[in-house]
Amino acid sequence: MFEQSIILSAIRDAIDWVLGLVGQDISILPLPVQVVLCGLIAAGGLMGAIAFAVLIYVWMERRIAGRMQARRGPNRVGPYGLLQTVADTFKLLRKEDIIPTGANRILFAFAPMLVLAGVVAAFAAIPISWDADKGEPIMIADIDLGIFLITAIVATEVIGVIMAGWASNNKWSLYGAMREAAQVVSYEIPLGLSLLVPVLIVGDLSLGAATEDQLGGNWLIWRNPFMWAVFFIFYVAGLANCKRAPFDLPEAESELVAGFHTEYSGLRFSFFFMEEYASMTLISAIGAIYFFGAGDLFGLQGSSSLIMFGVLLFKILVSIFVMMWIRWTLPRLRIDQVMTLGYKVLTPIAFFLLLGVTVWDLYDLNDKLWELFSRS
Amino acid sequence: MVETFKDFGFAVKTAIKGMGITLKTFFEKPVTLQYPEERPEVDSRYRGIHFLEQEKCISCKVCALACPVDCIHIESELPEKGLYDWDRFDIDYGLCMFCELCCFPCPTNCIHMGKEFDFSRFSRMDLVRNMLTWEGVSPAQKKEVDGIAAEKAAKKAAAAEAKKKAAQDEPKDTQDEKKDGE
Repeated sequence: MFEQSIILSAIRDAIDWVLGLVGQDISILPLPVQVVLCGLIAAGGLMGAIAFAVLIYVWMERRIAGRMQARRGPNRVGPYGLLQTVADTFKLLRKEDIIPTGANRILFAFAPMLVLAGVVAAFAAIPISWDADKGEPIMIADIDLGIFLITAIVATEVIGVIMAGWASNNKWSLYGAMREAAQVVSYEIPLGLSLLVPVLIVGDLSLGAATEDQLGGNWLIWRNPFMWAVFFIFYVAGLANCKRAPFDLPEAESELVAGFHTEYSGLRFSFFFMEEYASMTLISAIGAIYFFGAGDLFGLQGSSSLIMFGVLLFKILVSIFVMMWIRWTLPRLRIDQVMTLGYKVLTPIAFFLLLGVTVWDLYDLNDKLWELFSRS
Repeated sequence: MVETFKDFGFAVKTAIKGMGITLKTFFEKPVTLQYPEERPEVDSRYRGIHFLEQEKCISCKVCALACPVDCIHIESELPEKGLYDWDRFDIDYGLCMFCELCCFPCPTNCIHMGKEFDFSRFSRMDLVRNMLTWEGVSPAQKKEVDGIAAEKAAKKAAAAEAKKKAAQDEPKDTQDEKKDGE
């Protein structure tokens, strides 16, 4: 268990050091307790990191929205308005926790947690950096089926959303939930197909292997001429999957009040909010790792894992900026246009690209074309 | 099929165009004014809070007469021509409708519409604004006015004394005359 994960073994070493202060050893704990304890600490750290990131993202979103509309955005609370989201969070925490009459209380309370848990759990299989000494990716769980686990676990979010919509006892919530289910399930097809292409090239389902494969500027996006189109499909499908504009039909405020989270307030609402930004980060991280070389900066980053983490973070932030840029530019699609785009445009193109990449790699066209050009 | 892909291409093209516009705006300076700190430059003919040139004012009260809502209240004494003892020049901005009719009839052109525009207060009484830059007598003319007042007082005192003296000099005569009159 601990051999597979640099982060978990680091946490175990830390616990060992703390126990050493009272003259004990980690071996006094049975292995299952060690695993659960380290896992809980890692999960807590992940959750804290995501909550902190959401604070920054909301600030970014509002500043970027402001500048794109020739406004300033929040700039009164703290330097550059940085503490605005902190103040908003305190406001949100103080709000009354309303559960509507006629709501199914158990499902209503459980839905936000399920939605958030699905996305946060997927981060366990994301490599945040690369350890050059050990030759291993730094991640919580280096699972062989990494990307498969991520797509599977993110899909559970739909269940949570339908639970939220159904339990709210509100027709707008239910409409929103059904739209979300239709949209997310539809877009998982082009998303999965476009993720299949890098998996095909790397030859491994683990994201750690993808990180290793791209070290030294050998990014997947340069590998063959289809990759930019594949990335485009992935990005559009990813946007639809995390319900960002222009695919924010499930929470279309002009039609459905706020979609499936209409009846939610306070902390429960903030869970849905965090889920949106967490899944944005997840899509951006997968995009950065599978197409743009993870923490690699053409080999310039050296062997420092901290710089690699910074580079990956920078790539994620650029991707999130583009998502915000899209949100504040493009109008929302109609629900039938969303379905048309998913089934009639993105899915066929994704199939075609998958086929193209397969043929390209099968006949080794990269090398053959290179020979052709170098000979002439 | 061809139509679908044409539509898709058109959508991508227009989306990129729109995103170019927002990116351009993103790098431009925001147009927002940081209001309480920054103030907009108002038009030269803007009708804001009045602005009174008190040294030119002759307290003729024509503006108060011209005012359709009677929001200008002027009280002053005129010790002598050209010298004024100001008590009050108030404009009630709870009533004022910024019609500028007070400014046209002014013979010395001393009341103008100013450029100040934020005059919100917590009570209606605070909306009555004192337009005077000084109360009483103008500091420049104070000496002159004091001189005139002193002169007047001296004259009055002298007159009173003279009267007194006259009364002392011929008290019987007058009494007699009065008695005769009766």
